[in-house]
Amino acid sequence: MNDESNTSDRPREDEDRHAFAAEAHSLWRITFAPTVWALHFVLCYGLVSLSCAKELIPIATVQAVLTALSLLALAIIAWLGFRSLRQWRVLVTGQLEHPEGTPESRHRFLGHAAFLLSVISAIGVIFVSMPLILIGGCQ
Amino acid sequence: MPRSKARAAARPKALSAALTLPLLAGCEGAQSALAPAGEDAAVLATLFWVMLSGAVVLFLAMNGLFFYLTRIRVQAQSETVARWLIVGGGIVLPFVVISALLVWGLSILPDHRQAGDGLRIRVTGEQWWWRVEYWPEGATEPVISANEIRLPAGQRTELILDSAHVIHSFWIPALGGKMDMFPGRETFLSLRPTQPGTYRGQCAEFCGASHAWMAFEAHVMAPEAFDDWLAAQAGPAQTALSDAARRGAGIFTREGCGACHTIRGTEHIGVVGPDLTRVGSRTTLGAGRLGVSLDAYRAWITHTGDLKPEVEMPAYDHLSEAEATDLAQYLRGLE
Repeated sequence: MNDESNTSDRPREDEDRHAFAAEAHSLWRITFAPTVWALHFVLCYGLVSLSCAKELIPIATVQAVLTALSLLALAIIAWLGFRSLRQWRVLVTGQLEHPEGTPESRHRFLGHAAFLLSVISAIGVIFVSMPLILIGGCQ
Repeated sequence: MPRSKARAAARPKALSAALTLPLLAGCEGAQSALAPAGEDAAVLATLFWVMLSGAVVLFLAMNGLFFYLTRIRVQAQSETVARWLIVGGGIVLPFVVISALLVWGLSILPDHRQAGDGLRIRVTGEQWWWRVEYWPEGATEPVISANEIRLPAGQRTELILDSAHVIHSFWIPALGGKMDMFPGRETFLSLRPTQPGTYRGQCAEFCGASHAWMAFEAHVMAPEAFDDWLAAQAGPAQTALSDAARRGAGIFTREGCGACHTIRGTEHIGVVGPDLTRVGSRTTLGAGRLGVSLDAYRAWITHTGDLKPEVEMPAYDHLSEAEATDLAQYLRGLE
C-alpha cells in the first residue's frame, strides 16, 4: 500500500494516489458480503428469540419474514459476487493470480478476495437459514 | 478379529488385537450409546456409525493420497491437478459433506421434544441425587420417587428436567441423547424405549465433589407391568413390619430422619432428601452408589460422607451396630 515511497517523479506519484483512492472503494466493497451475512445472522437469531423465548411474534410470521430476508440476502450477495467476479476478470483473462504490484493487479486481487468472501457468505446464509425449513418451529 | 490368528507371531499386532477386544466389549452393556434400547438412541447410534465410517474413509483417502504423492508419484504435479485437488478436496467436498450432515442433524434435532403418549416425568437434579415425579395423563398430583426412572416400553414419555442448585445433565445413553438441567429453567427430553431391561443413567455435567457418584438405574418395563408398578408406588408406605423393622422405625423417628425424608403414611414429611416411601423397591442406594444388600444400607447410614463426599446427609456413625442393622431392616423393607 505504501507504493508512493519508491517513486520520486511527481506525475507517477499522483497517478498512484488516484489509483489508490479509487481502490479504497473496492477495499470497502470486500466487506459488504460478510456484512450482509452478519446482519442476516443477527436478524435470524433475534427474531426467533422474540418469537420462541418472549412469544411476542407468531413463529409462522417470523418464518415467512426470515425466508424472505434470506432470499434477499442471497440475492444481494449474488449481485456482489457477480460484480467482484467482473472486477477480478478471471473469466476474461484466465489469470488466477496477481503477482505484479501494479494498480491493475491490486484492483483484480480485491475483486478476487471479494468474490471468495461472497461465496463463503452465501454458504453462511444458507446454513443459518436451514433450521427455518428443517425445524420449522420453536421445538 | 482373524488377523490376530493369522499372525500370532507378529507381537505388535497380537498385542493391539488383545488391547482392542476388551475395548469392543465396552460397547455393550447397560450404559452404552452403541447398544441402543430405544428409538432415540438408535437414531444417534446410526448417526455415530455413519460419521465414523465417513471419517475412516476420509482418513484412508487423505493418507493414501499423501502416500501416493510422496512415495509413488514423487515428481512435481501440474498446476491443474493441484488446483482441482484444492478446489475439489478442499472446498467442494467439505461443503457437500458438512451440508449433508447439517441437514441430517437439523432434521433429527426437534425429535427430542416430540410429544409423548401421556406420561410425563419431572426430574430435578439435586446434590447428588435425582428427585423424580411421575405425572400420568390427567393426574392432579404426582407419584413421588427418587434416584430411579421407570419407563413403559413402546410408549413415548416426556421428561421435564430442572435443577435445584447447579447445572447437571440427564443422560441414559442406551435410551437417548443427554439434556442439561439448569436451576430455574426447564428443559425437555422425550424418550421412547423399545426393549424392556435395566439401563444406567449418569449425570453428564460436572456438578461438584460427588458428580461421578450421581447415577441412577432406568428400568424399562412392559406397559402393563409399569401401570401396576406406578399404582403400587402411589400409595402410603407399608405398615406390616417385622420386629427389627419396628425397632428401626423407632430409630428413624428418634434420629430425626423425617426432617429431611418423607415416608408417606407416617409423620415423616421432610423434602430435603430423597423420598423413602418405597426405597426398598429400588435397585440401587445413594443414587447408584451402592447395591441394596443389608450391608449396603448399613454402610450408607453410618459412612454416608465417605461413600459420597460432601453429601448433605450426615453420617449416623454413632448408632450401634444393632441399631444400624434395625434401621437398615426397616428401610430395606419399605418396598
